[in-house]
Amino acid sequence: MKYAVRTAKVIAAALGLAAIAAPALAQQGLDEPFQKPFKEALAGKTVAYVPVAMNFDLTEGWYAGMKKELEPLGVKFEIRDPNWNTNAGAQAVTSLISEKPAVMVIHNPDVQTYAKLLQRAENEGIYVIQINMGSAYRSSAFVGANWIEIGEKDTEAVVKACQGKSNKIAIVQGALSAAASAYTLKGVENVLAKHPEIKVVSSQAADWDAAKAKAITQTVLKQNPDLCGIVGFWDGMDIGTAAAVKEAGLTGKVFVATSGGGERKGACELVKSGAFDLNLSYDVPTQAAQMAGTIKWLLSSGAKAGSIKGSEYTTLIPITKENADSQTSCWNLSDLKK
Amino acid sequence: MKRFRFNQQEIVFAVFAVLFLAFSIFLRGFLTPENMLTLLQNVAVLGILGLAMALVVIGRGIDISLIAALAVPPGLVLQMVQNGHSLPASLLTAVLLTIAFGLVNGWLIAYAEVPSLFATLATGLLLAGLGQAALFQLDVVQWSDGMQGFERLGQGTILGVPTSIVMFAIACVVVAFLLRQTRWGAYIYAIGDNPYAARVTGIPSRPIIVLQYVVAAQIGCFAGLVMAASVNSMPTRVFNSTLIYDVILVVVLGGIGLSGGRGGVLNVIIGTLLIGTMLNGMTIMDISYAGQNLVKGVVLLLAVITDSFLNPRNEETAQQGDI
Amino acid sequence: MRDTLTSLRYRYWPDHLLGEILSKRWTETAIPVILLLIVGFALSRSIDHFLSPASLADTARQAGEIGFIGLGMALVVIVGGIDLSVGSIFALTDFCALYLLDVLNWPVPAVVVATLACGALLGAVNGVLIGYLRLRAFITTLITLIIYRSAFDLLIQRYSNSIAAAFPDIPSWNFIGGGDVFGIPSVALVYIAIAIFGHIFMTRLRPGWHITAIGGSRRSAYNSGIPVRRTIALCYVASGVLTSIAALFFAARLGTVGGDIGVGLEVIVLTATVLGGITLGGGKGSVAKSLVGVLIVLLITNGLTTLNARGGINRMALAGILLLAAMVDIRWQKNRTRIISKVYVAPTYHALPPPPATEIGQGGPFEQNDKLRDVELIGLGRIEAPEDVILDRNNNLYAGSRHGDIMRFFAPDYQRMEVFAHIGGQPLGMAFDRQDNLYVCIGGMGLYRITPDGTVEKATDETNRSMHSVNDDSRLRLADDLDITDDGLIFFSEATVRYEMDEWPIDGLEARGNGRIICYDTKTGATHTALRGLKFPNGICVASDGQSILFAETFGCSIKRLWFAGPKKGQVEVVMDNLPGYPDNINLASDGNYWLALVGMRSPSLDLAWKMPGFRRRMAKRVPVDEWLFPNINTGCVVKFNEQGKILESFWDLRGENHPMITSMREHRGYLYLGGIMNNRIGRYKLDNADPNYVQYDKRWGKAS
Repeated sequence: MKYAVRTAKVIAAALGLAAIAAPALAQQGLDEPFQKPFKEALAGKTVAYVPVAMNFDLTEGWYAGMKKELEPLGVKFEIRDPNWNTNAGAQAVTSLISEKPAVMVIHNPDVQTYAKLLQRAENEGIYVIQINMGSAYRSSAFVGANWIEIGEKDTEAVVKACQGKSNKIAIVQGALSAAASAYTLKGVENVLAKHPEIKVVSSQAADWDAAKAKAITQTVLKQNPDLCGIVGFWDGMDIGTAAAVKEAGLTGKVFVATSGGGERKGACELVKSGAFDLNLSYDVPTQAAQMAGTIKWLLSSGAKAGSIKGSEYTTLIPITKENADSQTSCWNLSDLKK
Repeated sequence: MKRFRFNQQEIVFAVFAVLFLAFSIFLRGFLTPENMLTLLQNVAVLGILGLAMALVVIGRGIDISLIAALAVPPGLVLQMVQNGHSLPASLLTAVLLTIAFGLVNGWLIAYAEVPSLFATLATGLLLAGLGQAALFQLDVVQWSDGMQGFERLGQGTILGVPTSIVMFAIACVVVAFLLRQTRWGAYIYAIGDNPYAARVTGIPSRPIIVLQYVVAAQIGCFAGLVMAASVNSMPTRVFNSTLIYDVILVVVLGGIGLSGGRGGVLNVIIGTLLIGTMLNGMTIMDISYAGQNLVKGVVLLLAVITDSFLNPRNEETAQQGDI
Repeated sequence: MRDTLTSLRYRYWPDHLLGEILSKRWTETAIPVILLLIVGFALSRSIDHFLSPASLADTARQAGEIGFIGLGMALVVIVGGIDLSVGSIFALTDFCALYLLDVLNWPVPAVVVATLACGALLGAVNGVLIGYLRLRAFITTLITLIIYRSAFDLLIQRYSNSIAAAFPDIPSWNFIGGGDVFGIPSVALVYIAIAIFGHIFMTRLRPGWHITAIGGSRRSAYNSGIPVRRTIALCYVASGVLTSIAALFFAARLGTVGGDIGVGLEVIVLTATVLGGITLGGGKGSVAKSLVGVLIVLLITNGLTTLNARGGINRMALAGILLLAAMVDIRWQKNRTRIISKVYVAPTYHALPPPPATEIGQGGPFEQNDKLRDVELIGLGRIEAPEDVILDRNNNLYAGSRHGDIMRFFAPDYQRMEVFAHIGGQPLGMAFDRQDNLYVCIGGMGLYRITPDGTVEKATDETNRSMHSVNDDSRLRLADDLDITDDGLIFFSEATVRYEMDEWPIDGLEARGNGRIICYDTKTGATHTALRGLKFPNGICVASDGQSILFAETFGCSIKRLWFAGPKKGQVEVVMDNLPGYPDNINLASDGNYWLALVGMRSPSLDLAWKMPGFRRRMAKRVPVDEWLFPNINTGCVVKFNEQGKILESFWDLRGENHPMITSMREHRGYLYLGGIMNNRIGRYKLDNADPNYVQYDKRWGKAS
């Protein structure tokens, strides 16, 4: 009993000792030396976003994605919406230069208009990230789709679908003057150069307009009922192309390939319904994440604006009947905003 | 003046006939029944808008906001259905919105006496802005399951004729009836011909002008529904396009002078046919979009110049403010 | 006591200024300017650095570019057209500049010249079509908009890559694009220079007036011989050139030929133009209006963009402000003249003692009689409105007419008549000089001279502008009567500087000293104002002493004397006051006394009203013009008075049927010739006891050689 009591005392003492010593003996945390400067580098900084316009899937998606990533870090995320007016956009960029945000995220309307201004901005020490549509000036970073690749992949798919058929295809371009349209056309030409058997019966610009795309396609289909494929340049416009195909009763017989931001209603559901056979998505949420990542990296690097220059081309997701049902192929805006 | 009007219409008709003949002879596949229907189908929406514009122009006004009426209320229908409302409720909301919009236009022009060009420029901007800011999530409003069946308005055929042509025809009949068979239509001509005289004679010109813009907006909304049904979505970005200029061209080329009081549905049809023939023929020839516009512009210019040579304007009879 | 206070209040408080300020043309622009100030203030409060030099310079650069196009559009709209093709011209000339510079490597001055020439050419296409071929502006420029735009699209397809690749670094080019002088951007400097020129051009130069005239009424402009077609064509050329200037600055600033350049520009510029107050349809507008409109539109769009507003909100705000401004402005334009007509009339205190009696049986010099009942009539129904009559040394009779002619009736029977000279305005007072030139005061035009062979020459139509006057009083509005001194000085009265000729009774209602006496020197041709602040100065007569003039103040009911030479030079002295009627012309009588016409008699009601300015102001505001209380001009008389101001004799016509109204009289060879501004006849009255050989000018200056 006595022993037992002693033992108990020893144990108690040991326990007490252990209790006292425990903090010293437990696993000790390490201060990560770079996260604080990272946070400091970002907090209070202003990032200005100049899309060509808000209110459409791409720009809204990028906006929501970047905001979600950046605002918790104390970054002030501002938006300048020129609403399709190139002149207003140039003015917005000009006044941003004198306001001196830390980073400018620029969605160019064409390859030239902002080029001089962006150069000036980087000279003034503002990082410039160009998204989806580059300019003649190469800035710190480009994040976006590779239009040539889009043109090539779409055309390859159409050429493949045409095998053993009439080999007649049509091209529905965007606006002639838009670089995205011109680059995509270059990709189309690259592939067609390798396939001399393919005959382009019509290559028209529909000006990003669904109604015009439908009118053109209708006429082309009336002239060439044996058409085997159409390369479209944007899914928002090619709704019209697809409607013309459907009305002609040629759904499934004419292969419609297009591209877009991969928003659920505009991409997956239309592929599911058979309107499009292939929709190459440049997956806006991933792009937004890449943009946010680039901003974080640039701000925390401390590099001089314009001293380093790089590009991140988006990996394209080909949406076809096989993956159109998958949750990951497409995105929708309300989810992205959550 | 009467001779003059008749001649411009005739010239445009002659240009149309020459083009049509040339295309029929030289373009393989132009003069087929299918292509004729396609030709008409492609310009049906333009034609319906032209009717709305004609109504306003005859009353010595102009309605630049038609494209907003074309884009926003139908877009609202699609958006509401997408959000889970029923189709009839959505349609009713859109019609009410259109009426409200027409009333605002009409009130500004008839009562606040803002010049119609300026007033509709601004209200169009207002409505488009409202759509962008408050009504639509994305600028292309997609078709949804709740709209099932409604696409019949713009797709498919009725007795072998594409539906949009039928819709254009219906709109033509309705507008022709309004203009030629109702007292209201006669009043519009009177107001367009001489607004002061019309007022002095006791015509309630202000309410009639208001009604005119309400009806025009309603027709614009109808054109929008046909367009949305035919492409299975409402690309509201169409507001940024230069479609309104095509609409004005259809009306003025057809022979409806901007000084008002002249012309009718027939003029709109002629103007529409001319534009449709040119676009169709050039698409078959695979001329690029810019090239098409260039050719279109030059042909139109030639038509207008020919008209001025055959019917020179007289300094004495030129109307003030007739730009 | 109360009357004294009233009199002091109305003497020193400038009631008339409000109306005069409102009737200035620049108040038309009031609403847009106020809006601009509000927008500027609101934005400067909500945006940091909005007013910083850098930010202002950025705004100025853009405003300058759009401003040039705005000027072109303003010009075209003022001439009665519209130019929808400016956006496309902008794009094409922008391309032209960059193509020449980047691809062909032209030197900068050559690029500038070629670009302007390109703009002129594109504008000239519009100009020829609309000006010479007389196509409708709206449809024509709509078509050229499409043509130019598609040409631009085709061109940039071929050349945009080579232009995009070039980053030219030429100092002069960079200066155009981004240079400044003392912080003012180059584009703003050029804009200011062109705007100042444009203002002078539109308001002071003949071509500018032609443009406004054509816009105001093409038909009248054509009929009055203005080269309508050429002027219109040149306006479109100017619009093209101005647009190309804007494109040049844009090209140097951004160096881009992107596809959307200039798309929708016409809408922005048109909005700015209309918002600034330049009415579609023509005839109205100014440089300032164009600038104000452009600034408002730009500040709103740029300001809202900077405030993080989304495109939709931005559009709604812009549209809302535009509509509101347009509505307020239209109300303002519409009611401005109404407001002016309400506040312009600014009556003042004017007290007269009770008038001397004129009734038969009361006695006194003014006692009524019927002497003029049976005057002979000359030219009955063949002449209208002979305000003044005069006879030359050959006894021929001259009288003015409402149609702007001087009529001559030939002696001896005055049956034959001819148009002696056509002037164009209504002739009022007349006088011959030593060389038998007839000097005439023309209402609304000034002082004119008619040589004996009937040639019409302008003597003067302006005097020195007084510094403190809001109304421009340098122009003569209502030259009324005159006389010529022995030294060749012409003294003439201008009845009012605030009203036009047809509004003369309103001046009487106001009873303010709005008139003046002006002196024109026939030797030097100089004009100066001799005396101002007179209540409707009217008749003028050089007194017998040759050193002073007598003048009548119609609504002052008095005759005064002004010395223009001698020891009392410059002094004014009352000769007669409190006349029973409203004095009009004064002329010499053969016996060395003076004739005076009383055009109408005073009435107790107006005498009372003249002491009650508040009453008259209320009347002017609330009662339609044709029911206002006006000076009575139904009955009048001729009186003779002497140097001391004593009335010697009076001549009445109680019936007023034969010769209803008297505004002037001349004595000539024993007869008195009577004129009346409302009459269709001239009266001739045989004077008893008068010198039958009296000829006014022979007596003063001797017989003609």
